[in-house]
Amino acid sequence: MGAEIVVHSVGKSFRLFHPRRPRTLQEAVVHGLRGLSPVDRFWALRDVSFSVAPGKMVGIMGANGAGKSTLLRLIGGVGHPDEGHIQVTGRIGALLDLGAGFHPDLTGRENVYINGVISGLSRREVSRSFDSIFHFAELEDFIDSPLRVYSTGMQMRLAFAIAAHIEPEVLRIDEVLAVGDICFQQKCIQRIERFKYQGCTILLVSHEPALIAEQCEDAIWLHAGKIVSYGKAAAVTERYVRERSLAHNTGGAIANA
Amino acid sequence: MTRLITSSTTNQWKHPSIQRWLYVRDLLQTLVARNMKLRYKRSVMGFAWSLLNPLAQLLVFSFVFTTVLPLNIPNYTVFLFTGLLPWTWFSGGLIEATEAIVGNRELIRRPGFPTAVLPVITILSHLVHFLLALPVLLFFILAAKITLTWTILALPLVIVVQFIFMLSLAYLLSTIHVTFRDTQYLLNILLLLGFYLTPVLYDSTDVPLRFHQIYSLNPMYHLINAYRAILLHGVWPDFVPLSLVAAASFALLLIGYRYFLSASSQFVEEL
Repeated sequence: MGAEIVVHSVGKSFRLFHPRRPRTLQEAVVHGLRGLSPVDRFWALRDVSFSVAPGKMVGIMGANGAGKSTLLRLIGGVGHPDEGHIQVTGRIGALLDLGAGFHPDLTGRENVYINGVISGLSRREVSRSFDSIFHFAELEDFIDSPLRVYSTGMQMRLAFAIAAHIEPEVLRIDEVLAVGDICFQQKCIQRIERFKYQGCTILLVSHEPALIAEQCEDAIWLHAGKIVSYGKAAAVTERYVRERSLAHNTGGAIANA
Repeated sequence: MTRLITSSTTNQWKHPSIQRWLYVRDLLQTLVARNMKLRYKRSVMGFAWSLLNPLAQLLVFSFVFTTVLPLNIPNYTVFLFTGLLPWTWFSGGLIEATEAIVGNRELIRRPGFPTAVLPVITILSHLVHFLLALPVLLFFILAAKITLTWTILALPLVIVVQFIFMLSLAYLLSTIHVTFRDTQYLLNILLLLGFYLTPVLYDSTDVPLRFHQIYSLNPMYHLINAYRAILLHGVWPDFVPLSLVAAASFALLLIGYRYFLSASSQFVEEL
C-alpha cells in the first residue's frame, strides 16, 4: 500500500439555470429552448490545493454547503473538476452511501454479492471474503433470510461489513459515524483505526472537531468552497472551534452557517 | 493504478484493462441476475406472469384477425407470435432503458461505477425474458407442423443485430430522459404507433408497394421479416437489408455512446 492524494488548485462549479428552464419536452416545445443554457455558475470549490501522503489521515470540516462532499466525490472520481487536477494512486473505497443496491426481497447472500460488486469487488473477491463479512456483521444466522426481515441496525451492520472488506488504499468517510448506536460507532472507529494501521490513506469528513483532532494528523477547514485553514489537526480544529464560537457570539461574521 | 482526474474530460474507458473488462462482466452478470431474481422471486408463477402479456395479446389479436377481420394468413397465431416476441423485447426494453440513469441515482453517485453499463443491463434483462419465451414459440411452431431448417443458425445473428439497435437507442433515450423527464411518455406513444406501422399483426407483403420505401426505413421491419423468414418459412433472411440495419445500428451506437459519455459528467448534478 502506498496511496497518495494530490489535489492541485481544484475548482468545481455547478451551473445555475433560469427558473423557466424546460424540464420536459413539452415545455421545451411551448417555451422554446432558451432556458436550456446555464445563466450563471456557482463555485462549490475554488482554488483548493492540498496533498495527503500515503498512510496519513486528514480530516475535513466546515459548515453545511462548504464543499466537503463535493470534494470527496471529486476525489472518488464522480464528476470532473472544472479547474486544476486531482491525482489519486490506489484503489478508492468509501464509507458513504452504504448499502447501495440493497433490496428487501433478496437474501443477505444475494445482497452482499450485489453490493460488493457495485462497490468495485469482483465476484471472486466477494466469495473470498463472504464468510468474514457475515462474521464481522454478526449475522451468520441470517445469511439466507431476505433483507426485509433484518432490522435497520442489522442492515447497517451488513453494509458496513461489506465496505470494511473492500480493502481500499484510499478511504473516504463522510459522516458515517453520525448514524448508528454507540456500539456501532465504536466498531466503526475500531475498523477505521485498523485501516490506518494497515497503511490506508484516509479522508474523514466530520462535524466533530474532537474526532478529527483525535484521529487525524492534518485537517482542512473549508468555507464557501475555499480552504480557510490547512495544517496540523490540533491547530486547525482549535482555530475552528474558537472562531466558530466567536462567530456564533458576534452574529456569524466569519463562518455563518 | 494511478488515476488523474483533470478539468478536461478524461475517460478511464479509453484504455480499459483486461481486469476492468472482467469486472464489467461480473457487474453485468450480477445486476442482470438481480433483475431476474426480483422479477421471479415473489411468486412461483413469476415466469408465467412474464409470458402472460404476450400470450394474452396473442389470444386477442388472433381472435380479431382470424375471425372478425380475417387476414387469411396461414398459421396466423404462430405468424403473430414470431412478430410479437421480438416487438415485446423491443418496446419493453426501451421503456425500461429510458429510466436506466434517472432510476439509478445511488449507483451513478458511486465512485468508479461505470455508468455506461446501466442501459446494457436493462436491454440484457429483457433479452433474457425474450430467450426464456423462445421455447414456447418453438413449441407453437412445432405444434403447427412447421419444420425448422438449418436457417435457424442465423437466429443468433438477428438477435445480435436487434440488441445493437436497441442499445444504440437506449444510450440516446436514457441521456435525453435526464434533461427532459417526459421522454418516456413520448416513447410510449411512439412505440404504440410503431407497433401498428411495423408488420407485427400483418404480413409485410400486404403493404402496398408505394409504401415499401417508407416501411424499409424502419429497422424493426427488417428484423421481424428476418425472424419470420427463419422460423416460419425456413429460408435464410435477406442479408442485404439485415447488414444495412447492422451497419446503421452500429453507427448509431457509436453516436449514442459518445453522446452518453459527454453528458455523463453532468449526470451527478442533474439527478
